[in-house]
Amino acid sequence: MDDYLILDNIKTYFPVYKGLIRKKQVGIVKAVDGVSLSLRKGEILGLVGESGCGKTTLSRTIMQLQPATAGRVLLDGKNLCELSSSKMKAERINVQMIFQDPYASLNPRMTVYSTLSEAIATRYPNLGRRDMLERVSTLMKTIGLNPSQMKKYPHEFSGGQRQRIAIARALAPEPKLIIADEPVSALDVSIQSQILNLLLRLTKEMNLTMIFISHDLSVVKYISDRIAVMYLGKIVEMGDAETLMENPLHYYTKALNSAVPVPDPDIERSRCRIVLQGDPPSPIKPPKGCAFAYRSPLPHTQEEAEQEGHLKEVRPGHWVEVHPATVDDYRQYA
Amino acid sequence: MVNPCNLNVPEERLPSLPIDLNQVEGGSSLWADAWYRLRKNRFAVISLVVFLGITLFSYVGPFFCPYGFEEMDLATRAQGLSLAHWFGTDGLGRDLLARVMYGGRISIGVGFIATAISLSIGVVYGAISGYAGGKIDSVMMRLVDILYAMPYAIFIILLMVIFGRNIVLLFVALGAVQWLTIARIVRGQVLSLKKQEFVEAAVSLGLSDSRIILRHVIPNVLGVVIVYATLTVPSIMLLEAFLSFLGLGVQPPMASWGVLIKDGAENMTVYPWTLLIPSFFFSLTLFCLNFLGDGLRDALDPRSSKD
Repeated sequence: MDDYLILDNIKTYFPVYKGLIRKKQVGIVKAVDGVSLSLRKGEILGLVGESGCGKTTLSRTIMQLQPATAGRVLLDGKNLCELSSSKMKAERINVQMIFQDPYASLNPRMTVYSTLSEAIATRYPNLGRRDMLERVSTLMKTIGLNPSQMKKYPHEFSGGQRQRIAIARALAPEPKLIIADEPVSALDVSIQSQILNLLLRLTKEMNLTMIFISHDLSVVKYISDRIAVMYLGKIVEMGDAETLMENPLHYYTKALNSAVPVPDPDIERSRCRIVLQGDPPSPIKPPKGCAFAYRSPLPHTQEEAEQEGHLKEVRPGHWVEVHPATVDDYRQYA
Repeated sequence: MVNPCNLNVPEERLPSLPIDLNQVEGGSSLWADAWYRLRKNRFAVISLVVFLGITLFSYVGPFFCPYGFEEMDLATRAQGLSLAHWFGTDGLGRDLLARVMYGGRISIGVGFIATAISLSIGVVYGAISGYAGGKIDSVMMRLVDILYAMPYAIFIILLMVIFGRNIVLLFVALGAVQWLTIARIVRGQVLSLKKQEFVEAAVSLGLSDSRIILRHVIPNVLGVVIVYATLTVPSIMLLEAFLSFLGLGVQPPMASWGVLIKDGAENMTVYPWTLLIPSFFFSLTLFCLNFLGDGLRDALDPRSSKD
C-alpha cells in the first residue's frame, strides 16, 4: 500500500444544545458524515464544495484540531484519532495546515524570524543560532521573500506576502502532508496565481502530499491531480481532475462546473449555465434520504428521493453518488 | 475551457541575495508603533512627565529634606507656609513636606504593588480559565462570580481587624480584591484569541500548552491588560485612601496621602493647608494616571480612538 493518508468513514458531529442551565441536546449537526478517501504519496487532492458543506471541518478533523465523532484517520498507518496527546504532539509536525486568512494566521507580536524559527525548532530542537538563521533565510528564499525582511512583523507585509510566510511556517517542520484550507480565497486573482504556482512547485520539489480545499473549481482544477466534491458532509463525486472536469456525472458537479466563469465575453454570454434551485439544506435537519434530491431537476419520484444514494465506482478511480436525482439515467450504473 | 488561473504570470524570480545579516532590516513591532502614537498624545506625555516628577519627589525628595516624617517639634506647631517649612507643619509640629513625600511613597507604592499582585494573579487565572475552557472554565469563573459578590470593603476591613493593621497585608488584600476584574477581562480576550488561526497553527505545530499561552496568547492580551492596569493603580490608591480615612489603612506615625487628608480634614477650619496640600498631590496623581491610561488605550488600540 502506498496510500499515505487514509480517511476511513470519518464522522464529525456537533451537538446542538438549548437551555441555559439544564442543557438539553436538541439536535446534531452532521458537519462531516462518513467521508472515506485515500491519498498516495505526492498526490494533490482538491476538495470542493459550497460554503458550509464541511470542507473546513474535515480538514480540522484530519489535523486533530477537532476530534472525530467516529472513523479513523490513518497517517502512514498510524491512527491519529487513537494517539495519546503527547504522541499526537510529536506526530503533528508531519501534517501542517495553511489557513484561509493570512491576516489572522500569523501572530502579530512575532517577527517573521521568530515565527519561522519556532516552527523549524519543532523538527530541529537543538539548532544553534547561526544554523537557525541559515535555515530561516533559506526558507524565506524558497517561498520568494527577501531574507533581509526576517526581523519584520506581519503587519508590515501585504496579504500575498503574509500568505507566503504562512506557507513557509507550514513547510518549516518538513511535513509530509499539507492541508491547504482555501489558501488563496482571501487574495487578489493576480496574487492567487503566484501562490498557486508556488504551492505547485513546492509540492513537486519536496514530494509533499496535499489536500487543497476551495470553493473555486477553477483553482482546484488547476492544481489538483484528483478532485473530490463534497455536498452536505458527504463526498458525492471523486475522480481524476481531468475526467471529473470534462465528464462530470453528478448533477451537482455539473452545476459547480458551469458556475466557473469563462474569461471570454462571447463564450460567456452564449454558454449554458446550470443554476440550482434553492439553498443547500440545513445540516441540523437534513432531508430524509438524498440531500440533493429536492434541488435536482432530474426526474425522480418522491419515493426515490427518500432513499439514500451510495458512492459507486463507475469507472476505475471515478466514484459517484448513484441516485435517480444525481446522475442521468442512473439505471446504467445499477 | 480557458483557465482563469493560468495568466502566464512569469515564475517569480527568487531573490538571489547572499545571506548578509548586516542587511537585515529592522521591523517596527506593534509596541514600537504604540509608543510612537503615545508620544504624539500631548496630554498623555504631560501626564507621564508630571507623574514621574511626583514619583521622583516622593522617593528621592526625603533624602534632601532636613526633617523626618515622624519628627515632632512642639515649638513649631501648626505653622503656615514658610521658608523653614515649605508646606507648613501639622498640629503636632511635624513638617508637612516630609510627610507628603513619605505619604506619596506609601500611596504610590500601594497602588503599584497591589496592581502588580492583582495582575499576576488575574492574568494567569484568566488565561488558564479561558484557554482550558469547558468545565474548568465554568468552575473557575463561578468562583470569581462568588468573590465578586462579596462586598470588598467589608472583606478588607475584616482582614484588617483579624490580622491587625499591617502594611504588607494591605498590599495583598487590595491586590486580592482587584484581580477579579482582570481575570474576567483576560479570560474574555483569551477565549477569542484561542479561536484565532495563529493559535491553531501553534497547536498544529505541536507546541506545549504553556508555550502557546506564554508566547502566543499572553503577548496579544497584554495591550488590554496594560491599559486596565494603568487605570487600576489610581483606583487602588483611592481605595487605600478610603481605608486610611476610615482609620484602617496605614498606622501612624507612618503616613499615606489618605492618612494626611484625614488628619487635614479634622483640622481644616483651623489650618486648611494640612488638607489642601496632600489633597492637591493626591488628585494630581490620580488625574495623571487616568490621562495616561486613556492615552495608552488610544495608542495600543488605534481603532478605538476618537479621531
